[in-house]
Amino acid sequence: MSSFALVLLFSLIFIWYLTFSANRLDRLHHRVETSWANLDSILQRRAAIAREIAHLREIDPATNLILIAAAHQARIAGISERSEAESGLSGALKHLRDESDIPHIHPEPFKELDLLTDRLRTAIAIHQEAVRATVNRRSKLIFRLFRLAGRAPLPVTYPFEDDVL
Amino acid sequence: MKIGMVSPYAWDVPGGVQAHIKDLAHYFQGAGHEVSVLAPALDEASVSEDFVVTAGRPVAIPFNGAVARVLFGPVAATRVRQWIHKNDFDVLHLHEPAIPSLSLLACSIAEGPMVGTFHVAAPRQKVAFAIAPLLEPVIEKLRARIAVSEVARETLTIHLDTDAVVIPNGITVDFFASAEPKAEWTKVLTIGFLGRFDEPRKGLELLLRALPGIAKSIPSARILIAGPGEGLELMQSVPPNLRNRLEFLGRLSEEEKAVFLRSIDIYVAPNTGGESFGIILAEAMAAGAAIVASDLPAFLNVLGSGRYGLTFRNEDASDLERQIIRLGQDANLREELRGRAREGARRFDWSEVGPEVMNIYHLARAASERVQVGSEPRSWLRFLTRDEG
Repeated sequence: MSSFALVLLFSLIFIWYLTFSANRLDRLHHRVETSWANLDSILQRRAAIAREIAHLREIDPATNLILIAAAHQARIAGISERSEAESGLSGALKHLRDESDIPHIHPEPFKELDLLTDRLRTAIAIHQEAVRATVNRRSKLIFRLFRLAGRAPLPVTYPFEDDVL
Repeated sequence: MKIGMVSPYAWDVPGGVQAHIKDLAHYFQGAGHEVSVLAPALDEASVSEDFVVTAGRPVAIPFNGAVARVLFGPVAATRVRQWIHKNDFDVLHLHEPAIPSLSLLACSIAEGPMVGTFHVAAPRQKVAFAIAPLLEPVIEKLRARIAVSEVARETLTIHLDTDAVVIPNGITVDFFASAEPKAEWTKVLTIGFLGRFDEPRKGLELLLRALPGIAKSIPSARILIAGPGEGLELMQSVPPNLRNRLEFLGRLSEEEKAVFLRSIDIYVAPNTGGESFGIILAEAMAAGAAIVASDLPAFLNVLGSGRYGLTFRNEDASDLERQIIRLGQDANLREELRGRAREGARRFDWSEVGPEVMNIYHLARAASERVQVGSEPRSWLRFLTRDEG
């Protein structure tokens, strides 16, 4: 009798632990979704500024094409190719900033770009940390054994090159 | 935006974390946001700020070389729940959530957009983080973490295996820059020290060991010691003929502190460790004091690796003596350091730091998300009833 009670107690504790763990993981996934959504909105804003710059009167047709194409690539890229596509846009913007006199003629969009770049760095750091925590947790035996992650896709990191910015 | 902040330490006890929360709250209020702070208090009647909600009396425990007053328990938990429920915050900012006090409690109770700021730097003090495995499920609820310095960030990485964004503590630069110097302190070369001087890690003992050498090279030098503490025992270590060089000022108010930092020629920070940020150095910089500080990583960071002040080898009294004499005898060097320091201090002004913190709030939140009281126990009940049904 007492051994039965013991088994019951342990299985109750175990079930509690499973729901507790599933809750934790659910929360972590939500964290990743939030950090990604915020990162995404900053990237969208950046692409919009890039298009704005592309349509300035002083921009030559070749640069216009490069910027528009890079911004378009960044917009249509899937989540796993996103970082690479955004790097292309970063490169194009950086080139324009360093090699042309457009930033002197039109400082406003570039000032906003600088501000955005700072926020972007922070957003990436926060997203990376959220992804790392989630992936770490999901790799634990109990989570894989009991499929606590359900059908949620494994979050992907965003290996944005800091120095391109 | 509606912001809730939680202090782990008693509001009516002076401390760096409390001061930081207060300034941050004032900054956000000034910027048009709504702020409510939940904090323990020794005497609830003594809390005068209308944005502070008290959560009960804390208990004293020794921590990180000082006494920390913290609060935990079912009564505090109820207050946290009521406070969160009543306020419907957009974001909850928890200060020092790894310390078993009110912030950790709030972090475990609340669900939603939460940001944590880690102030402490204790790379070697394992015991403070012995409960790390228990903390993990709670700390991972934070959407974003802020460390006040690289040292604090390292502490976090080592003990809690999590990364953080570094945002320094803020100061009101103009408050210090515009204080009126006190005439009687500017006549001779005055060296200032500020802190709880009977705590060994504040390093006053080093400064006193350097005093005979300083007095020999700069006969007119005086040392002003500000801050709470018992000075009699320390005085025993000073040769009797030099005792008149020291003056104890006792605890200073914020206004007195600004006047003090504005008046002195050299500010000395001989701290031997346990410093996470060194806000006092940023304040001394803003006030335009020439600085000599120990070469702790946190201090080097604030001082721009020596650009805004001189440093000496930690715990080396003779090196401290050399640096003070060097600075004391060279008015040009003092002037040069002062000028650079005043500029450098702008980096720590709330007008720089505040927007950075606000940016973190935005990044921690999904659109139209609110902070709620956690529903874990209820979901567990739902799970049970569904099972039986």
